[in-house]
Amino acid sequence: MTRTRHWPIHLALGLVSAIMLLPFYWVLKTSLTGENIFVYPPALLPTDPHPFFYVDVWYAIPFFRYLVNSVVVSALVVVANVFLNAMAGYALTRDFPGKAATIMLFLSCMMIPFQVTIIPAYLITAQMGLLNSYFGMALPLMSTIVCIFIFKASFEAIPKSLIEAARIDGVPDWMIVFRIVMPLTKPAIATNVILAFIWSWNSFLWPLVIVRDVEMQTLPLGLSRFLSVVEDTTGALYAFCVMVLVPGLVIFLLAQKEFITGLTSGATKG
Amino acid sequence: MAAPTTSTPAPERRRRSPSGKVSFLASQRGRDLTLIWLFLLPSLAIFALYRIIPMAWNVVLSFQFWSPYKPAEFAGLYHYEEMLFYDDAFWQILWNTILFMISAPVGIALALGVALLVNTQIRGRNVYRTIVFMSYPVMTVAVGIIWQWLYNEKVGLINFLLISAGIIDRGIPFLQNFDFALPAVIIASIWQVIGFYMIILLTGLQSIPPNLYEAAAIDGASPAQSFRRITLPLLRPSIFLCFVVGIINSFTAFDLIFVMTGGGPGHATDLLITYIYSTAFTLSKFDYAAAMTVANFLLFVLLAFIANRLAGGEAGAVRREA
Repeated sequence: MTRTRHWPIHLALGLVSAIMLLPFYWVLKTSLTGENIFVYPPALLPTDPHPFFYVDVWYAIPFFRYLVNSVVVSALVVVANVFLNAMAGYALTRDFPGKAATIMLFLSCMMIPFQVTIIPAYLITAQMGLLNSYFGMALPLMSTIVCIFIFKASFEAIPKSLIEAARIDGVPDWMIVFRIVMPLTKPAIATNVILAFIWSWNSFLWPLVIVRDVEMQTLPLGLSRFLSVVEDTTGALYAFCVMVLVPGLVIFLLAQKEFITGLTSGATKG
Repeated sequence: MAAPTTSTPAPERRRRSPSGKVSFLASQRGRDLTLIWLFLLPSLAIFALYRIIPMAWNVVLSFQFWSPYKPAEFAGLYHYEEMLFYDDAFWQILWNTILFMISAPVGIALALGVALLVNTQIRGRNVYRTIVFMSYPVMTVAVGIIWQWLYNEKVGLINFLLISAGIIDRGIPFLQNFDFALPAVIIASIWQVIGFYMIILLTGLQSIPPNLYEAAAIDGASPAQSFRRITLPLLRPSIFLCFVVGIINSFTAFDLIFVMTGGGPGHATDLLITYIYSTAFTLSKFDYAAAMTVANFLLFVLLAFIANRLAGGEAGAVRREA
């Protein structure tokens, strides 16, 4: 009975998909237009596609420098997240005095959006002498409460007997975490890696606040700076946009499942 | 080779203090506790440094006269008075922020429609889900640049489509227009976040036991009735969650607004977060910006609380489960 009624659903979803994809298509089309992007009426297909603006980006801005900065900050954030969240998540699977209070503390920290802390966070970072540094950009993102709870849940799913057996054999606790428990929680690690990467890769407000030095700017800062310099007068801006979007999109498409699992487990479990 | 009786290291490592008791650090329990706190320490330090201390410092700063080169002085309610009675921009921006927050239900309603459609057994539903969700994880700064280009007065796609459809005669400079700028920014923001709403609602839909619908169908309920009596009530926690995401979005929209309009024209698209940023970091009025931050946070907590009550209070229980 339902077989015959699929086409209206496809029609509706096709329309939604078109609206969702159109902005991506439009920026790609503009970036490939060649010389003049201000022709009216705008062509719906790129006439005479040309990589001119991509070459332009390469010469007009220190793209490679921005890319290196972004990669370094993201790498710091991802590595720190996996280790620190796994450690904290493991600790929360054990019983200790103050456990309930610690969990409450984590949950209430979740209710504080990072954006409302920027002024004191800036002053603290300045005090520590970390303005204009990779470490300063990475530090606030280095541990994520959602991911601590994801690790906690996946550690709890590991049979207790396995950990007991290792302990009886005299394996020290820190080695239990890194050599026995963590290899068994690969999905949690994957989720953490992809969430941490996307958050740090896209992070804009925090680097904007603490980075003054052009040499230290990450891709989003470079993009916004380029916009303020050239306004929307050149297609190179859109070529730059595409160059920034592609790595994030590719990584998202490759690790879509982990990303969505991470977001929804954070969303439904607090 | 070695005799098993002599190779157990544990008793040797335990050093006894003179009183004969095992010292704290040497006992198994003591070592366990030390390790647990050592494991928690880095994360706790980061949250203390970047959530808890800043939150408290914000409150302190809002009651002080302070700038980077002046010693702090007690200001009482000075900044709050300035904010509420003397800063005309503040009220406009507060209103913008509230409009931005309460526009979330529009996006949530659209997302619910899409979620219902991709929750059916149609072919290619995963492709549709990916496409709708794809705008969420991309860089917001890039999204802002794409949309300001779509809104371009002369050759923007949106003006082109509106003119081609005969709705308008000549291009509208959406982002430079006092009436259109805020809705234009809100639309871009909904476009980006709608996929996340959809995923949350989809998770909620899939957790509804299908036998409820079967039972309703046997009792002769129409699809509309079972949507209203089964789907909506059971989706309440998910809808609440979407609303909280929407409220938080009024903070994360900083990136979008900074790029698209910079808060202009006038203060037409300024939200509290963008106004706080420019007050603190371009005008160096950190103390006043701190007072507005406190106001912004209170607004956020208030709306989250109201949303929770509207959700029947059950959503709080879901969140506390972890």
